[in-house]
Amino acid sequence: MTDDAAAHGTDAAPATRAAPLRSLARSLLRMHIDKSSARILLVALAFGAIYATIAGRLVSIGLNGDERAVNHRASEVVANNPRPDILDRNGEILATDVQAVSVFAEPNKLVDKDEAVELITSVLPDLDARALREKFSKRKGFVWVKRDITQAQREEIYHLGLPGVGFLDEKRRIYPNGNAAAHILGAVNTDNIGIAGIEKYIDAHGLEALRDAGLPMTAESMKPVQLSIDLRAQHALRDEVEKGMEHFKAKAGGAAIMDVNTGEVIAMVSLPDFDPNQPADALDPNNINRMTVGVFEMGSTYKALTTAMALDAGKINLNSTFNVGSNLRYGKFTIHDYHTTQSVLSVPEIFLHSSNIGTAKEALTVGVEGHKAFLKKAGQLDRMRTELESAQPLYPKHWVELNTVTIAFGQGIAVAPLQAAMAVCALVNGGHLETPTFLKRSEADALALSTQLIKPSTSEAMRYILRLNAEKGSGRKADIPGYFVGAKTGTAQKVIHGRYSNTKNFTTFTAIAPSDKPKYLFLVVYDEPEAVKGTFGFTTAAWNAGVVTGRVIDRIAPILGLPPRFDQPVLPFPRLASTGAGSKQ
Amino acid sequence: MIRILNLAAICCLIGSALYAYRIKYDTLYDLEEAARLTRQVDAEKLAIATLHGEWQAVSAPGRLQTLADKYLDLVPLNVRQTALSAAELPRKQAESDEIGAKLDALGLGEPTMTPSSRSTGGSTPAGSRKP
Repeated sequence: MTDDAAAHGTDAAPATRAAPLRSLARSLLRMHIDKSSARILLVALAFGAIYATIAGRLVSIGLNGDERAVNHRASEVVANNPRPDILDRNGEILATDVQAVSVFAEPNKLVDKDEAVELITSVLPDLDARALREKFSKRKGFVWVKRDITQAQREEIYHLGLPGVGFLDEKRRIYPNGNAAAHILGAVNTDNIGIAGIEKYIDAHGLEALRDAGLPMTAESMKPVQLSIDLRAQHALRDEVEKGMEHFKAKAGGAAIMDVNTGEVIAMVSLPDFDPNQPADALDPNNINRMTVGVFEMGSTYKALTTAMALDAGKINLNSTFNVGSNLRYGKFTIHDYHTTQSVLSVPEIFLHSSNIGTAKEALTVGVEGHKAFLKKAGQLDRMRTELESAQPLYPKHWVELNTVTIAFGQGIAVAPLQAAMAVCALVNGGHLETPTFLKRSEADALALSTQLIKPSTSEAMRYILRLNAEKGSGRKADIPGYFVGAKTGTAQKVIHGRYSNTKNFTTFTAIAPSDKPKYLFLVVYDEPEAVKGTFGFTTAAWNAGVVTGRVIDRIAPILGLPPRFDQPVLPFPRLASTGAGSKQ
Repeated sequence: MIRILNLAAICCLIGSALYAYRIKYDTLYDLEEAARLTRQVDAEKLAIATLHGEWQAVSAPGRLQTLADKYLDLVPLNVRQTALSAAELPRKQAESDEIGAKLDALGLGEPTMTPSSRSTGGSTPAGSRKP
């Protein structure tokens, strides 16, 4: 009994707990319509949930698209490697992508490899049959047969009906202007990846990261890259430098045109160059970009920097005079002048006669540390940072007075020619040192990035001296009427077997136009030009680089829209006129 | 009443099924059409890009210079030939028919000996021919 009671007692609790469940089940199974509302509610809820799920999925597909489809498309585009177009400053195409077809094979799907090799080589006779057979014998899922075939070849291979052979549409980079801007543009490899020049810069600045992220890229989604280059000027410059190089039998040549106010490179040439459509030539060491990657002693061009430094430091003024009558002696070194002159020269006369002794004495007024600091500030001692690769300048680690003396006239320091051009721009544009750029830039942007190298008044004095030199000094060859040109020659003897050669020169010619309010800087350099008919045995800068600079200004200034003026500008150097120093014109 | 409602409901059902069917196939068709047009647009864009490239290649300054040197006898521009404003341009010459004046001077405008009608004899004078 007690057992029963106990049993009953233990049963009672579940019974009471199960009671509501049981009543719910009973009500769900009830067949009377009036009493089955609970069942209907449950069914309604279930269907409601199902429809809500479907609707939700539809909305999500509608909003995001099919994920698999997106992935598929992305992978196809990445195989394409599209690149943005490169345009010149006027919107002319310098580089663009065109569609190309490539043929590939999947060796593990090829039925008869020998037959495939035979048939493919019959259509593409320039393929090496043995190499192809070797490729096919590898246990690989994918091998390229040939990149960039013609549409006709594609049709033929297609009609061979080979299983395991397919085609892929690829992008191929073309440079419609050929050699014209080769060193600026650079080149791409067969995978359409930049290996030199601006192409490399584009990859390094964003494109590669985008590609690695697997983002879908199409030609339209990429903004064209607009350069500061003017294609017409670029072609004309290359043409003139090439003609000059042939005429003067020079080993190499180079030239640049810069906008002195924005630091933009309007045109830049280095010869010998290459056709970017043949990318292998871009890496030939003889084809290096001598304007940025090559470093050279710039010779007397550096005298402009020295003069500006001494003027700006207030150690001298335009009326200061120096005795250049006797050679400077430093131990076993003797500094002497190329042009024999009278013994006492004023600052402009030192510049006009390109006196080494005078310039060295000017530098010594500032001292070794001041000289070094000025050149550092002028960006001559560090690698120049442009969009293109550039070289580290070479200068003595241990810099003593003798070094200051020689560097004053451009011996003992080797910089990239464009780097020297950058400093000269700052000397004439009011003193703003602006790193050259190959991308389009406004004057305001350039000013914001610039540093003040010298005072505006010193800059005006430099313009006056350069103009004087073009009028009466070594720069006469480039004094094209109408453009009020200012110029400086520079002839550096080349170092052959550790000593300066008397016959082999590196010549430079720098010109600005117009001198009263400079807009453009022209720089032409030649490596080992020879004396030819008409140069009277001279190989110095005025006779080769100077002549070519004259032709360049004559031909390109109208292209760039520089207005010629045939009347002498009224008061071209107002500050100098007020102090009376620039009265002599 | 219930029967009519039932009938209406069935009609609605069939109607909506047909409508859904049509919508589905219309959508498929439109999708295909859209894909086709997209492909066409892509192809056109590609063709435009290629043509731009081609145009640049044929109008490349280097090529033009070679052609100009070969076929034209142009001389380089002289800066004195440029004008900065319209005022600098030389004034237009008064209208004159130079070729006409030259013809008049030569008397080519005068009536010629060419016979104007059949009645005028067209024979060359006899006896002038040498054996």
